[in-house]
Amino acid sequence: MDKIKTYLKRFGAIMAQPVIATILGLLVGAVFIIASDENPIEIYQTMFSRSFLSPYYLSQTLTRATPIIICGIATAAAWRAGYINIGVEGQMITGSFAATLAAIYIPLPGPLLLIVSILLGMLAGSIYASIVSVLNMKFGSSIVICTLMLNYVANYIASYLVSYPFMDPYGDGISLVTQTIPESVQFVKLSTTNNLSIGIIIAAIVVIAFYFMERKTVFGYESKMTGFNPNFAKYGGVFERKVMLKTLALSGAIAALAGICEIYGSKYRYTDNMFTSASFAWTGLMAALISNLHPIGIFFTSIFLSGLQVGGQAIQRTSSIPIQMATVIQSSITLFVSAKLGVQFFSKWRKQKKQEPAKPQESKGGAETV
Amino acid sequence: MFLELKNITKTFGKTVANDNISFGLNKGEILALIGENGAGKSTISKILYGLNKPDSGEIFLDGKKLKIHSVLDAIDHGIGMVQQHFMLFESYTVAENIVYGKEPKKNGFFDRKRAAEIVRELGDEYGLHIDPDLKVEDCSVGMRQRIEILKVLYQNADIIIFDEPTAVLVPQEIEELLKTIKDLAKRGKSIIIITHKLQEVMDVADRTVVLRQGKFVGERLISETDIKELSYLMVGRGIPPREVEKKEPGKLVLDVEDLRYKHEGVSILNGLSINVHEGEIVGIAGVSGNGQTELIQCLTGLLKPDSGKVELCGEDISGKSVREIRDLGCAHIPEDRYEFGCARKADLEETSIMGYEHLPEFSSKGLLNEKHNQEFALNLLDKYSVKYDHMGEPAGALSGGNIQKLIVAREIEHNSKFLIAAEPTRGVDIGAQEFIHDRLMDKRNRGDGVLLISSELSEVMSLSDRIYVIYDGQIRGEFTRAEADTNKVGFLMMGGQNGQD
Repeated sequence: MDKIKTYLKRFGAIMAQPVIATILGLLVGAVFIIASDENPIEIYQTMFSRSFLSPYYLSQTLTRATPIIICGIATAAAWRAGYINIGVEGQMITGSFAATLAAIYIPLPGPLLLIVSILLGMLAGSIYASIVSVLNMKFGSSIVICTLMLNYVANYIASYLVSYPFMDPYGDGISLVTQTIPESVQFVKLSTTNNLSIGIIIAAIVVIAFYFMERKTVFGYESKMTGFNPNFAKYGGVFERKVMLKTLALSGAIAALAGICEIYGSKYRYTDNMFTSASFAWTGLMAALISNLHPIGIFFTSIFLSGLQVGGQAIQRTSSIPIQMATVIQSSITLFVSAKLGVQFFSKWRKQKKQEPAKPQESKGGAETV
Repeated sequence: MFLELKNITKTFGKTVANDNISFGLNKGEILALIGENGAGKSTISKILYGLNKPDSGEIFLDGKKLKIHSVLDAIDHGIGMVQQHFMLFESYTVAENIVYGKEPKKNGFFDRKRAAEIVRELGDEYGLHIDPDLKVEDCSVGMRQRIEILKVLYQNADIIIFDEPTAVLVPQEIEELLKTIKDLAKRGKSIIIITHKLQEVMDVADRTVVLRQGKFVGERLISETDIKELSYLMVGRGIPPREVEKKEPGKLVLDVEDLRYKHEGVSILNGLSINVHEGEIVGIAGVSGNGQTELIQCLTGLLKPDSGKVELCGEDISGKSVREIRDLGCAHIPEDRYEFGCARKADLEETSIMGYEHLPEFSSKGLLNEKHNQEFALNLLDKYSVKYDHMGEPAGALSGGNIQKLIVAREIEHNSKFLIAAEPTRGVDIGAQEFIHDRLMDKRNRGDGVLLISSELSEVMSLSDRIYVIYDGQIRGEFTRAEADTNKVGFLMMGGQNGQD
């Protein structure tokens, strides 16, 4: 009992900041809503009733949340070890595209095809992420920049592939699409009225598995220490390159799974730009940042953020508020969370200022604090 | 009283750095401000020099109340400070550094010739000779300190504060500095010297003020006290002298021959050879920056040496990984506890198991054995009396001495045949220092080999069975405990060659 209590206490302490940021974010949104001559209370009411409070909309929200949760975990997997992977989108595209092709073209019986294609997709995602590890080890290239740029590479290559070799000529005529994946690999649905599938359960399993990996495994420990202080890890005998290879490969594989859940669970085929326009990866990144990389936090924050987006569509239909309001609120929350760093910095700076009323002479400037 | 501090109180957050401290300074007097780390010596001197502002209390100079808001105010009132870490422009000349901030001018331009003259005149007056046209980057540590002193004199200081002035010096330089300080006092300068080295206090000061945990605990005339009493005042209890158990060294544990390492074309280790036996503490004395860091890193696998033999317990370890070397029996208390010894955000359990996590009791099949690991961490914390709040506390929240104790605990409890202890007591208070020294002795008495690398000569001298002196990446001399003497070792530390004085 006590253990649960202290755990809840700690979880509360971690989540306090995001909750405050969320309230502030909603207040910022309210200002804009008032400025557009609408009643913020009514708008928020509509927004939340059309995202969380009715079963239909809730399942809509959860469908959208599925890839976002997994993207958030993919981000956290790399960031916690100190490797800033912002290429989840690219890894997601590569992995899910590979899985889709495998599902369409490999002649295997249903259940086996499901497993084989998912594994192939995750392998593709992790190989794509590993390119960055190799570049970093061989040439010392920046992980941030490489992962970011490879997003575009992945999206354009997929664009080409879906425009020419793998285009379905009998597609919908509006966008470029591949063929539909066989029914035998499509995820089981949890709802009769919309697309909610067992993808959300897979997302929950990913969250729990990640949580377990992070706390209970040697790899989780070593990568966490590498993230905290790479020199400390090296000194203790952790082989940094191995950690980087494993971490980025894992992150890429999880990212691939996010895309696979979206395709196998609700869209059933790859559509050109489907992941970039929905910005799953970036919303997942925001969720990871807001919840301080805590997996359980990522789970709920992702659902909340996708609720905002689903609710945003609803208010666009019923009022003069455009869907971009959801983005405003979401970005404000992220800003307020990152503001915590700013606040800490500011209070430190003020304290220093108080101690040194006048600027000390330059040559003596290196005053140490006690 | 020339200078008087009355009821000075200064707090940083919850910590009270100075608690209602009062003392005075006479003209021409040398006052030693002594206390352990964190006793509040530095804070009070920074208040005097305008770097910190007191929460309450008053300062009087010649009976007049002083308001010191900044360093410039302090300098205006004739208060100067020679800081522990020198603040000099490396690529400028000695003269330029000394006159900086108050340059002699001719037709509105900097008068370089006059600056050099000023430095020569000052040097002649106070017996602090130095070539004014030398670049600071070419100056030794002792010379740099002389530049700082000249700078303070140039600013016409009547009160000079020395903050741990001997921490960076070798014995011969220390002797010279103490002479300079006495000389300055004779010429009417009033001096405050902050230190925790009691022998120096006895050698140079007229009077001493003792601080403990931010409080004033006493004041003694040097002629009426001794080291024993002062250390009792400082620590709050007596410290018995160390007794060294006789021990015959056993088999060879570490054997290094002709170790060489170059970094970006600069030779750092130039054919260094050392060895350590079972049941022996071998000290490496030397001014920091003479290859100690690289030596440690080559021995532990963090760096790959260019050539040379490194054998641990008879096995060649050059080219082996950190983990392989650790598993062969090499534990390592790192030089810098925050850079290598821990991660500030890691909790105490995570800090405790580093380097063990892959061992069978600590994990199996990639899964951590939580129950065992927690017990293990608790045992370390308990056995080494580390003060902490709770296990989930981040290492960065512990005080320096306590985190150091935990690191020492972790490395010693490896029960390895060989331990590298680099600066094991840097920046920790006397209590923790004694404790750590005792643990190193225990390790030796159990029959393990210890390589002690420290820039604190007294530490090396008191613990080591054998001492090597390192200079410029080479061993310049080797002494047994009986042969070693501060002067001989100090001479070699400065680059002197054996056989010539």
